[in-house]
Amino acid sequence: MAHFLVILLDDKRFSAIKGTEIEEKVSNLFGGALKAINVEVPEDAEKKIMETFTSARIDSRGAITDVPIAFTRAIFEEIAAQKSIGAEIFENVFSKIEEIKEAAAKESSCLPPPDIDISDIEELQKHPYQGE
Amino acid sequence: MGVFIEKPLPHGGRLVERVVRDPELGKKMAKMAKAVYDIKPTLHYETGVPVRNVYREIMSICYGFFSPVEGSMTKAELERVLKERRLLNEWVFPYPMLFDISEEDYASLGVELGDRVLLRLKGKPFAIIDVEEIYRIDPADVATRTFGTPEDNPEVVQQAFDKKHPGWVIYRSMNPVILAGKYTIINEPKLRPPFDRFWYPPRKAREEHVKRGWRTVINHQTRNVPHVGHEMLMKNAAYTGDIEPCHGIQVNAIIGVKRRGDYPDEAIVEGHEMVHLAGYIKPERHLVTICLWDMRYGNPIESLLHGIIRQNMGCTHHMFGRDHAAVGEYYDMYATQILWSKGIPSFGFPKSVNEVPYGLQIKAQNMAEFWYCPHCNEIAYSGCCNHTKEKQKFSGSFVRGMVAEGVFPPKVIFRPEVYKVIVKWWNKFEYPFCNEHYVQEKEEKLEIELPDMEI
Repeated sequence: MAHFLVILLDDKRFSAIKGTEIEEKVSNLFGGALKAINVEVPEDAEKKIMETFTSARIDSRGAITDVPIAFTRAIFEEIAAQKSIGAEIFENVFSKIEEIKEAAAKESSCLPPPDIDISDIEELQKHPYQGE
Repeated sequence: MGVFIEKPLPHGGRLVERVVRDPELGKKMAKMAKAVYDIKPTLHYETGVPVRNVYREIMSICYGFFSPVEGSMTKAELERVLKERRLLNEWVFPYPMLFDISEEDYASLGVELGDRVLLRLKGKPFAIIDVEEIYRIDPADVATRTFGTPEDNPEVVQQAFDKKHPGWVIYRSMNPVILAGKYTIINEPKLRPPFDRFWYPPRKAREEHVKRGWRTVINHQTRNVPHVGHEMLMKNAAYTGDIEPCHGIQVNAIIGVKRRGDYPDEAIVEGHEMVHLAGYIKPERHLVTICLWDMRYGNPIESLLHGIIRQNMGCTHHMFGRDHAAVGEYYDMYATQILWSKGIPSFGFPKSVNEVPYGLQIKAQNMAEFWYCPHCNEIAYSGCCNHTKEKQKFSGSFVRGMVAEGVFPPKVIFRPEVYKVIVKWWNKFEYPFCNEHYVQEKEEKLEIELPDMEI
């Protein structure tokens, strides 16, 4: 069975592929709460992914997971540039794998947190139900 | 059989409590020590990374989580546990509990049978061990026999344990000299925030259950920030009970050495707490607690320890899912549920662990899985929902990937408040999961602070 990579689409990413043929391949997850493209991974590309990223694994859905964010980001950029989810995108991504590995090494120690307001939970935590 | 389920007695009949609360008495006891030993983390036998700290076992033993165990096991007890999963007093117990030191440390300590050793942690007096026996182990042999083999335990062991298994590595990395004897904490520690408000040792947990009027309590084992699938598991499993659903839902997080990619312990405990602070479960029905233990990932073997811990805390029920406390495919994914429903003879259980002499009283609630079904438009129980083609699983790695990409998860995956707890600790640690820096710092700081004690 061919395995696949799940590329999540936030609004910005979705707008980059909107109106192209890829839009038809977008699946709605969790009742439409999340959009994604499942990109089928050719066997040789899967082998390279597993060899390059030791954290990578295949989960119970058959999805290749735990790859660096820099890698999925590069895959999406290639999809958006080529307007395709075919095998050729992996060739192009692997041509700049050293650059991706460099970025991946940095993200194993530091990832910028999302800029969201968490004051509501900090307020809730001021009144814990448990404890002395 | 009565209408109501009764709160089970502690495993072994009474709670072990070996904590000296009077500092003067603690000092007196410490002064009788013949030698002083600074507790060191157990380091991976190949990589040198910390994989365990025996202090967590001393805490859990002395506060009664592991009752009736009172200390580091003798040779005869170790052998019995490995062969039959029983202590010498007959009570079921799954894992070796050992105070191991190197040959070099043994030579410099110069201890003999009957001696008392003062154990220091982070440079301060912490506990004592009264040495009853000194013997040697072959760590590789103990590691393999702890988890079983496909040849000896063909019912559930599918492949030989090796260095990819974190529990096997813990035993394999132990030192060869074992000091056996009872532990006593002589300098009562304080849990560091945020762990302090989740510290409910068995006696306190039982008192809290009574205070809240809980007759029946179901426990949820965790080492994760709860996504909505976990929440549904807790809520639905709690419909069991006696003539009414369980009064209480107790979450017990195993806090210990972390692996890269796990969520930080702080986010795990506060994430669970947020489930009740944000009102998804009434706080009156929900209690978040911790137990200090470096997970061995022993699936059925680990489930026995989980059962013992939560029975000692006063729970009447324990939920067990598929692949309970598992990593890889070493065990059958239903091994825990098999153990609790019909037993595993090769591990010493010809019947369920509830039905063997000196077994456990806490009742298992074996659960299948929860998924999101777009057809039902709800989080569905796999035993009910027949839309198996449409189902969308709560894959842990998928959820972690989404978090790492900074995508705000939809409400059907994470409650927004729970996700914000992840972000809170992400802001602090500059990383959403445990990275090398977190793991290293955690093993230096540990979860407790000790008061000064001059001896």
